[in-house]
Amino acid sequence: MNRTTRYSGWLHALVLTFFVTLSFSSIAQDGEKLFRANCASCHKLDKKVVGPALAGVQDRWESEEALIAWIQNSQQYLADHPEDSYAADLFAEYNNSIMPAMPISNEEVKAILGYIANPPAPPEPKDPVPGPEVASGKDYTMFWLLGFLVIFLVIIKVLMDVKTSVKRLLYDIKGEEVYRAAGEEVDFDLTGKEKLALWMNNNKVAVMLLMVVVLVGVLNVAWEGLIGVGVYDGYAPTQPIKFSHQIHAGDNGINCVYCHSSAEKGKHSGIPSVNVCMNCHKGINEGSRWGTEEISKIYEAAGFNPETGSYDKPGKPIKWVRIHNLPDHVYFNHSQHVVVGEIECQTCHGEVETFDYPMHQHAELTMGWCINCHRETEVKMGGNDYYDKIHAELVEKYKDQGLEKFTVSQIGGLECGKCHY
Amino acid sequence: MSGSRKYWNSLEQYNNTPEFVERAQNEFQTPATTEEFLADEKLSETATSRRDFLKFVGFSVAAATAAACETPVVKSIPFVVRPEEIVPGVANYYASTYADGSDYCSILVKTREGRPILINGNKLSSVTSGSVSPRVNASILSLYDSGRLQGPTIGGELKAWSDIDATATAALQRAKANGSKVRILTNSIISPSTKAVFNKLAETYGGEGGADVKHVSYDVYSFAGMIKANEKSFGKAVIPNYHFENAKTVVGFGADFLTTWLNHIQNQNQYTVRRNPDGAWMSKHYQFESTMTITGSNADVRGAILPSEQGLALIELYNLIAKKAGRAALSGKKFESDNNVHEKLKHAANDLWAAKGEALVVANSNDVDIQTLVNGINEMLGAYGSTIDLNTPVYLKQSNDVEFADLAKEMNAGSVDVLLVYGVNPVYSAPAKLKFEAGLKKVKTSIAFDDRLTETASLCTINATDNHFLESWNDYNPKGNEYSIAQPTISPLFDTRQAQESMLAWSGTTVSYYDFLKQNWEANMFPMQSQYSSFEAFWNSTVHDGVFSYNSTQEGAEIMTEGLMASLSGAAANAVKQSKSSNWEVEFYLSNGIGEGNHANNPWLQELPDPVSKVTWDNFIAMNPTDMVDGSGNEIYNIELAEKLPATVAKITIGGTTLEMPVVAVPGQKKGAVSIALGYGRTKAGKVVAQGDSTNGEERTIGTNMFPLVEYGNNFSFGMSGVTIEPTEKEFAIASTQTHHTMMGRKIVNETSLKTYKENDKQVWNPDHILQDSYGQPKHISKLDLWSAHDIALGHRWGMSIDLNACYGCGACVIACHAENNVPVVGKDEVRRTRTMSWLRIDRYFSSDMTKEKGAEEGLGAIDTYGKMEIPSAYPEVVYQPVMCQHCNHAPCETVCPVAATTHSNEGFNQMTYNRCIGTRYCANNCPYKVRRFNWFNYTGDAKFADVNPSQDDLGKMVLNPDVVVRSRGVMEKCSFCIQSTQAAKLKAKKAGRPLEESDIDCACANACSVGAIKFGDLNDPKMSVTKEAKHDRSYALLEEIGVKPNVYYLTKVRNVDEERVMEVHKKHASGGHGHGDDHGHGEEGGHEEHTNHEEHAH
Repeated sequence: MNRTTRYSGWLHALVLTFFVTLSFSSIAQDGEKLFRANCASCHKLDKKVVGPALAGVQDRWESEEALIAWIQNSQQYLADHPEDSYAADLFAEYNNSIMPAMPISNEEVKAILGYIANPPAPPEPKDPVPGPEVASGKDYTMFWLLGFLVIFLVIIKVLMDVKTSVKRLLYDIKGEEVYRAAGEEVDFDLTGKEKLALWMNNNKVAVMLLMVVVLVGVLNVAWEGLIGVGVYDGYAPTQPIKFSHQIHAGDNGINCVYCHSSAEKGKHSGIPSVNVCMNCHKGINEGSRWGTEEISKIYEAAGFNPETGSYDKPGKPIKWVRIHNLPDHVYFNHSQHVVVGEIECQTCHGEVETFDYPMHQHAELTMGWCINCHRETEVKMGGNDYYDKIHAELVEKYKDQGLEKFTVSQIGGLECGKCHY
Repeated sequence: MSGSRKYWNSLEQYNNTPEFVERAQNEFQTPATTEEFLADEKLSETATSRRDFLKFVGFSVAAATAAACETPVVKSIPFVVRPEEIVPGVANYYASTYADGSDYCSILVKTREGRPILINGNKLSSVTSGSVSPRVNASILSLYDSGRLQGPTIGGELKAWSDIDATATAALQRAKANGSKVRILTNSIISPSTKAVFNKLAETYGGEGGADVKHVSYDVYSFAGMIKANEKSFGKAVIPNYHFENAKTVVGFGADFLTTWLNHIQNQNQYTVRRNPDGAWMSKHYQFESTMTITGSNADVRGAILPSEQGLALIELYNLIAKKAGRAALSGKKFESDNNVHEKLKHAANDLWAAKGEALVVANSNDVDIQTLVNGINEMLGAYGSTIDLNTPVYLKQSNDVEFADLAKEMNAGSVDVLLVYGVNPVYSAPAKLKFEAGLKKVKTSIAFDDRLTETASLCTINATDNHFLESWNDYNPKGNEYSIAQPTISPLFDTRQAQESMLAWSGTTVSYYDFLKQNWEANMFPMQSQYSSFEAFWNSTVHDGVFSYNSTQEGAEIMTEGLMASLSGAAANAVKQSKSSNWEVEFYLSNGIGEGNHANNPWLQELPDPVSKVTWDNFIAMNPTDMVDGSGNEIYNIELAEKLPATVAKITIGGTTLEMPVVAVPGQKKGAVSIALGYGRTKAGKVVAQGDSTNGEERTIGTNMFPLVEYGNNFSFGMSGVTIEPTEKEFAIASTQTHHTMMGRKIVNETSLKTYKENDKQVWNPDHILQDSYGQPKHISKLDLWSAHDIALGHRWGMSIDLNACYGCGACVIACHAENNVPVVGKDEVRRTRTMSWLRIDRYFSSDMTKEKGAEEGLGAIDTYGKMEIPSAYPEVVYQPVMCQHCNHAPCETVCPVAATTHSNEGFNQMTYNRCIGTRYCANNCPYKVRRFNWFNYTGDAKFADVNPSQDDLGKMVLNPDVVVRSRGVMEKCSFCIQSTQAAKLKAKKAGRPLEESDIDCACANACSVGAIKFGDLNDPKMSVTKEAKHDRSYALLEEIGVKPNVYYLTKVRNVDEERVMEVHKKHASGGHGHGDDHGHGEEGGHEEHTNHEEHAH
């Protein structure tokens, strides 16, 4: 009993330590996350963007309470504290452009301020990835294999020649009859072609087998080749802007549907229009990878002048190269899969948040690939009243097997007319 | 890592050498031309052997194959700033209005990615209540008509708008300075703001010392006679609002009030309410007419009279009722009838009098006297105030034919300085007698506002090219206090400008028509309502709903009948005078598809079969088949038409003009009279109209223009006597979609009378189909099965019900199906070869005089009896039946497909997978309903269809529904039950997390038919109206006896006639017990199968 108590005491301490550590780290993380979510579109730490640079902001304000109130609702603060000349001047300095009221709690503001006071060290700049032609390290396996094969063949040839020389020598020494009696081949004057014919004649079964193997091999290669016609997994075309999903979806944790918003509404996931890019890039004019070069292309497309911060030119759309091309005779609806099926984007598109430029097609997008998923995936019927009736009917139908959950194929997901019309 | 893999075709590509880049960009290298190659004289001396040649061929094929494997580069170009309401792949709907002077309809336009692709009815409208006509929903195609002008023209040359404005303003200024005549010639303008624009123009240039500006309304199918008659009778020069829903007895004289006459969309809705045999009461409809109209073919009792006899028949009806009402009789004249018209009139009079206060008589005549007689009858019946509302005027037709004739006179006198022609095409449509064309040439400056160089616009000085109505703002006031808005659903595709905008510009204002419209509404309509306090809110809601109406306070004005009483006897005397009987008579009518000819260049409408004759792509002389044989029974004109059986061309002389036209047999057409559709024979409408062959003159047109032959006395008159018709040796190919005209005593359309329906058990008029099983036990057909059944109880089971009492055969569903499902147009030649592609057809059957019983009584053999059963009666009854894929649960097509391209879904669809189909056509051969269509050609690419199939040009392609595949050559296609819409409906419900509702479902044909003849939904959902109808006593399945178990149910047609009526097949059932002679073997087989079902499957 005593032992048990002590034991559980240890356990408590362990768990507590774990959670305390976790919560500390989560506060620090929260600060950064909150900053990114709420502030980063207009503020940077070290640079004036839409709003002022935030480094040292605590020092510039008299009290933290005032700063928090100002951050939460600057207009309210101005109204409540007409005496605060610093706030009034600040507002005037930035052309009276109103900072929207932030629905964040005092703790969250403090977490943000904590992050601002002690930002983590910037990550080591990554090696810039060269142009799209050399996407990453080459595959040298084949080269090495071929090299070894050549060396191997040379060795065999040398050994064979040695053997023949030795044989001829022995023949000269021992005389022809000894060998003839043993039934060995002694005619050294045959040409290569004659030798091959002789060998083939003597090894008909082996030759036959070899031919079958070669034939099967050729057919297999042809089959694989033809089946791959129109299958473009790995297709990674050069895009007009070197857009990295890794930076946006990975490093910055932007939700996929923030940009591809119609994935939840319609059949197309949609490529974001330039105004969506500008939501963030109005403030962020320098990228971590290519500096201003690529972002200036967005400004060009949006007709935005970063000098004046105004849209003073006509916009022109960006001509992206489409990566995922389904044939016209297939109907695919993103919202069906994303909203109703609650399928993660990554299921079909891969770990996009780790994909750098250029973006590539992850899955093969063939019918077999679709069908396999429909065979295996369970329909999310719970919590959706639409499925109540059919779920009860299916349970009844499969009561022998005692099934409670059903795959897409069991509700007709393999029928031609589900996708082809 | 798959992401790092790169594919390259050659080392050059891999290294991206400059040469490669250059070559890659220059896709087509300059080749040596064949001519150059063949011209080489040393060619014969070259050493290229046959084997070398084959090697080259082989290499080229391999190279081409390899080249074809390359990834196509597809660009994806998003908006710069995406409009909030546009989500790629999601349709938007906008309320708007269609009004072209002949049809008015409040509509809902479906757009995808900014392109309008489908027109449905606007259910919020109290005038059209969500209905459409085929002309309305086909008008979407006119938007993408490549025949449209791409900008304004002067003398046929494209010019800048500044030039147009300068020329037009100069002409108007000149007229103002000279005080000369400016005339605005339009169709009936029901747009208050457009009228305000005319006033603005008149203010600018007319007035004291200015030009003499006058607006002239001109309706080609005029109602001037009715307006004048109402003025004379009641002192109100209006067209009244009719209430067919209040009429227990309706008597029509020639008026095709269901598809073309006046406010026909409203009429159809009202009429349908009372055609339901299960309702509180069912109306009784008599029709007396010469042409077999769609309305007449749907009447309970139809009497055929000559066009000139309409007045006499009305006098007779008047006198019959007057006798009951105790009024003085009018002096009339007896006329002969070959189809008991006098008897039918007597019945009509009895029924009208019995329904006093709830009776209605309408006539199509444009003659004042005949309309006065109609007024007289309606007044005796107490129709005013119940079925006719004189206090709610209908503005759809306002023309005064005399004004138009006077204008033509003025023009010929050379006194018209500036003529503006908007919405009409008088060079095409005016009676030749009025010499409009000659007059137009004497007008100094004529300005048309057409969207193409029509017959009129091409002769005008200026064509200020108008927008399509889907690119324009407008407002409409079709009747009383009902208003609707037209809003643009797409930016103008070309450099065009709305006519109102042009006139405003010439009036010297800079206000856009949109602002003008809003100002007008703020001043006039906004104060009429109290719901909204701000105009913007009112305006936004009105534009959103598309309609606006307010209650009027001018109710119950007294009907003054002194005028009517005074004019009746004179009218009767005039009507008697009109009746002449000599030679043939002719009546011109508006066809259901082409109407007045505004949409002549619309191939959907040209290919829509005429509901009665089933003829496409032509107008013709409709003649009763008994008139087509001579005294000894020999055919003077070919009665039977088919692919290789052309029509006989006749020489017809009307009012001194002789034309040659094909003659088509139309049973029900009054003997001694012929009918010809107006609206055909357009010469300058676009490339589609040049598809026809012509029997007249050099120009290739579709059909022949009848408008020049329209008689003008004081009004336009569409019936004429003194016509001569002679057969010629010439023949003319007619493309008809149905060449078999009777049901041959089978239960294809089940029909009964209201009396039988009300008084008898279902088994009498719609008996269950009973067969014997192998033990001789009677069993319902649905219990006998050759195959194991599909699990139809699970989930949804899509089905359709079609109420044959509500279907009038108009064809709006056919057009909607074409638009929704990208059905190709195939042109006249292919239709003639029975290769029409419509997924949905409307079968029309005539009754025959011969029955099997009658044949037996007369001692005819079976073959003779059947032979005679093929011949329709001279004056038959008509039934319509829409037929599409029946989505059989035991589909015969599915079992014969060698590649499983047509399969059954667990939701009841018979699915057709185009990319799996190899085109054996076994399925079509095995389909008992003949609803499968084969793509004989690549209709989107084959040169033969370049002019008829809209999806051959880039513009026409824009109407295609992006959710439906465009089928290619060599595959079968058929009705899919709009699977794309049911999938979308399910998705909508799933996303909302609720069960599917009827309102989610959007099937094109069911939607187009808002009189409710077609219902579509889930047969496993007891709440859906389709389920209720499918379980109704009237419900039956087409060709039920073959046991394919369709998912389409038809509701028995019930005619309101006083006789007992049971179909011949049922009579046999009743006499022969349960045995069904012909099918006995089948039944036994079925019964046998029931026992061996599982074993059979094991095989």
